Amino acid sequence: MRRLMLALASVTTLAMPPVRVLHGQDAGRIQLDTFSLANGLKVVLAPDHSTQVVTVNVWYNVGSRNEQAGRTGFAHLFEHMMFQGSANVTKTGHMSMVEQAGGQLNGSTQDDRTNFWEVLPSNRYNMGLWLEADRMRSLAINQANFDNQRETVKEERRLRIDNQPYRGAFLKGVTSPFDTGTCFAYGHELIGSMTDLNAGKVEDVKAFFDLYYAPNNATLTLVGDFDPAEARKLVNDYFANIPRAKEPPPVSCDVKFNAGEKRETVIDAKATLPALLRVFLVPEYRNPDHAALELLATILGGGESSRMNRAIAREAKAALATQVGLDVTGPHRGPSTFAALAIANQGVSTDSIDKLMSAEIAKVVASGVTDEELSKARNSKRASALFGRQQSLNTAESIQAANMFLGSPNAVNTDLERYMKVTKEDIKRVAQQYLRPDNSTVILIKPPEGPRP
Amino acid sequence: MSRRIIHASLTLAVTLAVTLACSAGAQSPTKAPAPGPVKPAALPAFQEATLPNGLRIMLVESRRQPVVSIALMMPAGEAYDPGGKEGLASMVASVLTKGAGARSADQMSSAIEGVGGSIDASASEDFMNVRANVLAENAPLAFELVADAAIRPSFETKELELVRTQALSALQLAQSNPAILAQHFFAAQLYGGHPYGKHATATSVNAITSDDVRGFQRSRLVPAGALLVIAGDISLAKVKELAQKNFGSWAGKASAAAKRPSPPTRSKTEILLVHRPGSVQSNILVGNLTYAPTSPSYYALTVASRILGGGSDGRLFKTLREQKSWTYGAYSDLVRNRDIGTFEATAEVRNAVTDSALTELLKIERDLGTTAVDATELDAARGGLVGSIPLQLETAQGIAEQVGRYTMLGLPGDFIRTLRPRLAAVSAPQVLAAAKSYMRADQSLIVVVGDGAQIYEKLAKIAPTKIVNAQGDAMSPADLIPRVTALPVDITKLVARSDSFTVMVQGNPLGFQTQSLTKTESGYSYHEVTQIGPFLQQDVVVLFGNDLSPVSVKGMGKVQGNAMNVDVSFANGRAKGSSTTPSPTGMRTVMVDTTMAPGVLESDMVAVMVPALRWAPNAKFTVSSFDASSGATRQTTMAVVKTESITVPAGTFSAYRVEITGGEQTQTIFISATAPYRVLKIALTGQPVEFVLVK
Repeated sequence: MRRLMLALASVTTLAMPPVRVLHGQDAGRIQLDTFSLANGLKVVLAPDHSTQVVTVNVWYNVGSRNEQAGRTGFAHLFEHMMFQGSANVTKTGHMSMVEQAGGQLNGSTQDDRTNFWEVLPSNRYNMGLWLEADRMRSLAINQANFDNQRETVKEERRLRIDNQPYRGAFLKGVTSPFDTGTCFAYGHELIGSMTDLNAGKVEDVKAFFDLYYAPNNATLTLVGDFDPAEARKLVNDYFANIPRAKEPPPVSCDVKFNAGEKRETVIDAKATLPALLRVFLVPEYRNPDHAALELLATILGGGESSRMNRAIAREAKAALATQVGLDVTGPHRGPSTFAALAIANQGVSTDSIDKLMSAEIAKVVASGVTDEELSKARNSKRASALFGRQQSLNTAESIQAANMFLGSPNAVNTDLERYMKVTKEDIKRVAQQYLRPDNSTVILIKPPEGPRP
Repeated sequence: MSRRIIHASLTLAVTLAVTLACSAGAQSPTKAPAPGPVKPAALPAFQEATLPNGLRIMLVESRRQPVVSIALMMPAGEAYDPGGKEGLASMVASVLTKGAGARSADQMSSAIEGVGGSIDASASEDFMNVRANVLAENAPLAFELVADAAIRPSFETKELELVRTQALSALQLAQSNPAILAQHFFAAQLYGGHPYGKHATATSVNAITSDDVRGFQRSRLVPAGALLVIAGDISLAKVKELAQKNFGSWAGKASAAAKRPSPPTRSKTEILLVHRPGSVQSNILVGNLTYAPTSPSYYALTVASRILGGGSDGRLFKTLREQKSWTYGAYSDLVRNRDIGTFEATAEVRNAVTDSALTELLKIERDLGTTAVDATELDAARGGLVGSIPLQLETAQGIAEQVGRYTMLGLPGDFIRTLRPRLAAVSAPQVLAAAKSYMRADQSLIVVVGDGAQIYEKLAKIAPTKIVNAQGDAMSPADLIPRVTALPVDITKLVARSDSFTVMVQGNPLGFQTQSLTKTESGYSYHEVTQIGPFLQQDVVVLFGNDLSPVSVKGMGKVQGNAMNVDVSFANGRAKGSSTTPSPTGMRTVMVDTTMAPGVLESDMVAVMVPALRWAPNAKFTVSSFDASSGATRQTTMAVVKTESITVPAGTFSAYRVEITGGEQTQTIFISATAPYRVLKIALTGQPVEFVLVK
């Protein structure tokens, strides 16, 4: 149950769990070489010859935030379509070619982006580039592939969301602070509605591909053991003649902080115990307060020894599990959420869970955190960033995240400093500023009434 | 042309890129590029040192990231467990990090978590390893914790007993896992009296004393023969300083290990059938012994095994799954032990195709040793193997792990460096020769775990077949047909009752179960309602006659959000209906239409009979019951193993501890030692779940 919220949030990955996005480091800058092709493809090269591995990583600047009403779920459906073959690659070819090279691959969808990657031995990275170029140029979009993947996505929804207790309510909950009128981008669910998926036509998919899966809407990052001159030549050979598309329309999201507490009750047919989710509205990833909020989430609800778990699960024995997280459906360039979840124990009402959770939040708002808590949260942030930096895939993801969420790939070299500079006063201040009842939505998740079968 | 050169010379990255784009033309390659040349592993030089006490140290210095991984490896694995104390090495490993030096278990975990690091200890067949990963600045802490764990473990009774409970749960769970069961029998048969053939049992784990644990640590965790591997951002001088400080006073010489008998040789293929009544599928495990880790055949056989069953590209997978649809997966593997390794091929198949799948598997195995592979298949297999190696060596932790393991196996220092080119150079004739020598389809041991009543006769046509039950007791083919044993039920004690249980999960009340038995006109109605947290809810009604013959079982519920359903009726000597229930591989639906011998109970009825049996300190009852979730009749035994005092919410009682064996899972129940006999507590197999009587 420790990874409850992550498990609840990660509905979008093809086969493996999403890579944790890591930021910054304090030893050895990553040397970056950034350029663009004429068709707008942005390329970031980060050679590192200390291993014999190369990660080929493509982020498309498209996620559920780009979806329009009536067409939800397309971003995720598209992630699936990308493994269905292209002009020169058969239906299962992409996966088997990478496996036969001894490599690994995956793709995932978040609110703000869709990523695809291959980790390969360095003598085969050329194949990874070729595979990415072939599908960017000539994805096989036809009725049969579309029908097949639409069914797969619907089945994924049934299995991973509709059939799981709390998951549907949780995903709905993290969209609830956003008004679909002023912020449809974050006000609808990533997985999309069955109605929209059913109504989708292959022409819509083609249009979505043409608009978003274009070189001018993508960033290609290479990390690892490659020769930059050779990489430039290969990138050019494979990608340069993929035509540019028109610029996608901008995404807007207007919200009002401290707009008053909202309460909603969700009946969860799969749940047998009540649960409570409190979602606070917080600012975008690059906001200076983000780092303090992340450390606060760790202190309140990251792991067994966190405050919520100690107070509500272990001492009061009122909850089966608790968890607190920031940006649980991926970082946002717009406003985001800070969510606290507790699943009640047998015979415990949502009211008492609400009181216990509010008391813990009030405590941190009034008295802040201890030196020890801050140091532990900082250390774990720093250690996971540096351990992650040993792997080319994590490094590539960090570079992409820096590029998208902080505005420049080079920010990968400085982002960790934000977290190391956070003080106890910062944490208390952001708690006071954002963890206010009138800045939150409370979702009461209840099992259906009446006798059980 | 000249324009491009002028632009390029401006050296503006963007401009250069634009210029190159113009030169690319409209052609895009329609074929994937050829691989570049394979390079030997790019590992930094290994630096070595030895402490005066004999501890060997290897450093793989890498300044890429400020992290350090350390791994202390000792020749103190499960193969060193004394006879009758199997499970000792694993138990020692599990307790090492639960309090050592001046720190309690909590202090140890908060010390390492406080700096964002990790520590763990484990035992494999040959070795015991203690590992830690930290940021470079915390290297002193990592050395201190690893040294404390190996040299100064506290072995607190509380922690030891916790580890024992977990080990027993894991064993119980393993008993109900056919794949693990197959591995146990396979190792035992293949290795005979050699220690690799032994495995822990509840008896051996219960026999381990705190003196055994201390003794193993004192006599086996010693500097001689141990290897400390460090990888990451640290110098040899610093490593030596920290090692001397923390491991310098470590002393002791390993006591001589018992002489290991040679494993038996095999001249023909034989089958061991592990009878698992009611099993709807068979777990097949085929294999033979191979060689010592230094054998030069390693490279060619590794390629051969990849071709045979390395994944979704393997021949086994392509034939047994994709072509025949007999199985979800079929694979092969090589196990590399210090003394002698094994080749193994596995498949999990439906009962009805068990013999066909086994015959086909043996044929595919034999083919590899008789017909040379073609270039395409060879290239794909070598490419996958060669390519995956750099991915395993990407982190300091990965490097320490691999370098340490190969060194402990006695391989030369350049093994990792030369692995890629050696695998890449394996030829088709070498694959053929290796397969012929080490994939011995006609001198194999075959273990099949499944329902003997359904598969024995077919298996016996393939090779000589011996039968055992899950406990390893020999059975004859006649034993496969369940004998019906009537329970000595005193019907006058079977009276209407109603009991409530609380379900405790890790000590927290998380649900309830109510049971009620009522008398009907023609017999009895038993009604059971269960709810555990958000995970499980079910409602079951069983009707049975005055002569105890089952009439029907109907149940509905949900487990982890999935609908469960049981609906079986019994009439005219047959059971008919269907069930959808959880199984280790997901929800399983079974259509039931089978014979019901007279005297067979429905499985829920067994517990209902408890008050009507004559319980005594050594009482033992055997009963045949029909289990709707597997659609089969099985024999279970209820045996009193102990009398003890237990406290449940309903009060404190003198109770019989009763083990129920023979089904897919083992269960423990507690029954009040005086009439009326009531079930006081039920402990679920391998899970921290207990049902305790409330009223």
